[in-house]
Amino acid sequence: MQVRDYLIRRLILLPFIMLGVSVIVFTLTRFTGSPVGIYATPNMTPDEVAALEARYLLDQPIPVQYAAWLGGLLRGDLGWSGVSVAPVTEVIGDKITATLELAIAAGLIAIMAGVALGTIAGVRRNRGPDHAARLFSILGASTPTFWFGLLLLVPFYLWLDWFPLGRSTTEIFAGIDHPTGLYTIDAILAGSPEALWDAVRHLILPAVVLGFGAMAIIVRMMRSSMVEAMSEEYVDAARAKGLPERVVIRRHARRNAFVPTTTVIGLSFGFLLQGSVAVELIFRWPGLGQWVTSAILSGDQATIMAYVLITAAIFMVVNLAVDIAYAYLDRRVVLGG
Amino acid sequence: MTRAEAPETRQSAGSVRWARRREVLAEVLRNPLTVVGFVIIGAFLLMALFAPLLTEPNQPDPYQSPRDWANIDSPPGEAGHVLGTDSQGGDVLYGVIWGSRLSLQLSLTVVLTTVVIGIIVGSFAAMRGGRLDNLLMRIVDVFLAIPELIFALAIAAVLGPSFRNIILALAAVFWVKYARIIRGEIIRIKQAEYVAAARVVGDSTWNIFRKDVLPNSVTPIVVQATLDMGNVVLIGATLSFIGLAQAGLTEWGAMVSAGQSGLLAGEWWVSTFAGLAIVLWALAFNLVGDGLRDVLDPKTEGR
Repeated sequence: MQVRDYLIRRLILLPFIMLGVSVIVFTLTRFTGSPVGIYATPNMTPDEVAALEARYLLDQPIPVQYAAWLGGLLRGDLGWSGVSVAPVTEVIGDKITATLELAIAAGLIAIMAGVALGTIAGVRRNRGPDHAARLFSILGASTPTFWFGLLLLVPFYLWLDWFPLGRSTTEIFAGIDHPTGLYTIDAILAGSPEALWDAVRHLILPAVVLGFGAMAIIVRMMRSSMVEAMSEEYVDAARAKGLPERVVIRRHARRNAFVPTTTVIGLSFGFLLQGSVAVELIFRWPGLGQWVTSAILSGDQATIMAYVLITAAIFMVVNLAVDIAYAYLDRRVVLGG
Repeated sequence: MTRAEAPETRQSAGSVRWARRREVLAEVLRNPLTVVGFVIIGAFLLMALFAPLLTEPNQPDPYQSPRDWANIDSPPGEAGHVLGTDSQGGDVLYGVIWGSRLSLQLSLTVVLTTVVIGIIVGSFAAMRGGRLDNLLMRIVDVFLAIPELIFALAIAAVLGPSFRNIILALAAVFWVKYARIIRGEIIRIKQAEYVAAARVVGDSTWNIFRKDVLPNSVTPIVVQATLDMGNVVLIGATLSFIGLAQAGLTEWGAMVSAGQSGLLAGEWWVSTFAGLAIVLWALAFNLVGDGLRDVLDPKTEGR
C-alpha cells in the first residue's frame, strides 16, 4: 500500500474509532446504573429526583441516552465535572496542557537517554556496555512510576528541598500570560527567566520519573537498528574514507538508525499518558491524571468519560503524527493495514 | 505422498519442533540476564507456594496482614518484625510474602484468560476472513486506541474498588494484543508452503489450524505472555496504589500506598520493600521475555 493512501485511510478511520471509543466509554459508565446521584441532593423528594432524571433523559432507553450524550459531545458539552465543580469543557483545557507539558518533557528525556543508550548497546553488542544499557532500560520499564517517584521525593524534596511539588509557584506566575498553556513556553514568551526557572524546577523530577519508564522501548529499537546500521555498506564506505570511528557512528550509523526508532515514539507516548496518572498523583501535578484519580475516588462519571475520550484522542493523533513523520523521514517505507 | 503416510510425517515434524525447542532453551540460557530472571521467578514461585510455611496465615483472611498494635511503625529488625511494621502494625514481611500469591493469581489469571480469548478471536478473524475479520479488527482498533492502564482504570473504577475487579478490568483489556498477534501470524502462515501442502493432501481446515498453524504461531504469543506476566502486575499495582483495591490488602501496590505518608515521615521501610517486590517481579519477567524475544524472533522489535 502507498504511504499516502495508508495515512489517508487512517485519517478517515480516526473519527470512526473515536465513535467506537465513545460507545465503550458510555456503556461502561452506565453499567453501574443511573448517574442521577451526581445531580441529586440528599433532601430531594422522589418527585424531584424523577424530575431530574427526566431533565437529563435518564428515564429514557440507553440508546436514546447515548444519542443525547453524543449530541452534547459534538456541541462541545462534556457534562458537569463534580470534582472540579465546573463544566468539563471549562476545566479540561488546563488539564490537557499540564499533562502534555509533562509528557513532552518526559518524552524528550526518554528519547535523548534512549538514543544514547541504544547507540552504545548497538555498537558494543553482547559486551559489557550492551548488557549494562539493556539492564538499565529494562529496570526503567519494570519500576512502578509511583514507587520511583516516592523514592525520589525523599532526598530531593524532603531533605534537599531542591524541587517543589505542584506545577508552579503562584506568586511568580501571577503576572505571566498563558498563551500556550505550557508553562515553560509561556515563561519564555513572557521573557521572564525567574518564571522559566520556576517552571523547570517543578517539571524536572516528575519528567525524569516518567521518562525513565518510557525509555526502555526506545533503547530496544535503537539498539537493534544500530546493530543493523553498523553492518551496512555506507558504514564500511565511511570507514574506508578514513573517517574516525566516532564520526562514523554519530554522523552515519546513528543518524540512519534513528529513523526506524521514530516508529516506537508513538507507542511510548501511550506509556507516558498512562504513567502520568500515578506520577501526577505523587507530584501534585494538576493534569489529567490527578483529575481522573480524584474523579474515580468520588465516582464522578462525566470526568472519567471525558478523560478516557480525550486520552484516546491524544494517543491516536500522536500516533498518526508519528507515522506521518516516519513516512517523511524514510521515503522508502511501505505501510500495510 | 498418500493420505496414509501423513500422520508419520506429522510426528516427525513434531519431534523436529521439540528438538528445536531444546536448542532455543539452551540458547536462551546463554544470556546471563535471562538466567537472573529465571532465578528471581523461581524464588517468587517458591515464596508463593510455601507462604503458609514461611509465615503463619492470618485468620480469617490470610490476605490481610496480622496487626501487632503494640508495635506500630517499628523499623526493620525490631520487635520480631524482620522488615518492620506499617502504621496499623501490619508486618511488612508478611505482606511481601502473601503479596506474591496475589501477584501470581493476578498475572496467571489475566495472562491465561487473555491468551485464550485472543487466540479464539484472532483465529476466527484470520481463518474466516471477510466481513467477520473486518468487524473484529475494527473492534480491536478501538480497544488499542485507549492506553491499557487508562482503559483498565476506567473499567475498575466503574466496577468498584476490589482486587477481583482489578483482575476483571485487566482481563478485559489485555486480550486485544493477542488477537492481533495471532491473526497476523495465521495470515502469514496460511500462505506458507506446508499449509498449502496439507490443503493439497485434503486436510480439513480445523486439522490444518490445529496441527500446522497454531503450533507455528506460538512463538510471539509466548514472548508477549512472558512480558505481560510482569506488565499485568505492574499495572495492577498501579491501580491498587490509586485506591482501587480493598484497604489493608497484602497487595504490593496497596502496601506502597499505605506506606506513603510514613515515607515522608522518615519511615521508609513499608513502601520501599513492597515496591522492591514489584520491581523484582516485573524485572524478572521482562528479562526472561526480552531474552526469549532475542532468540525466538529477533526481527519483531518492541512491536
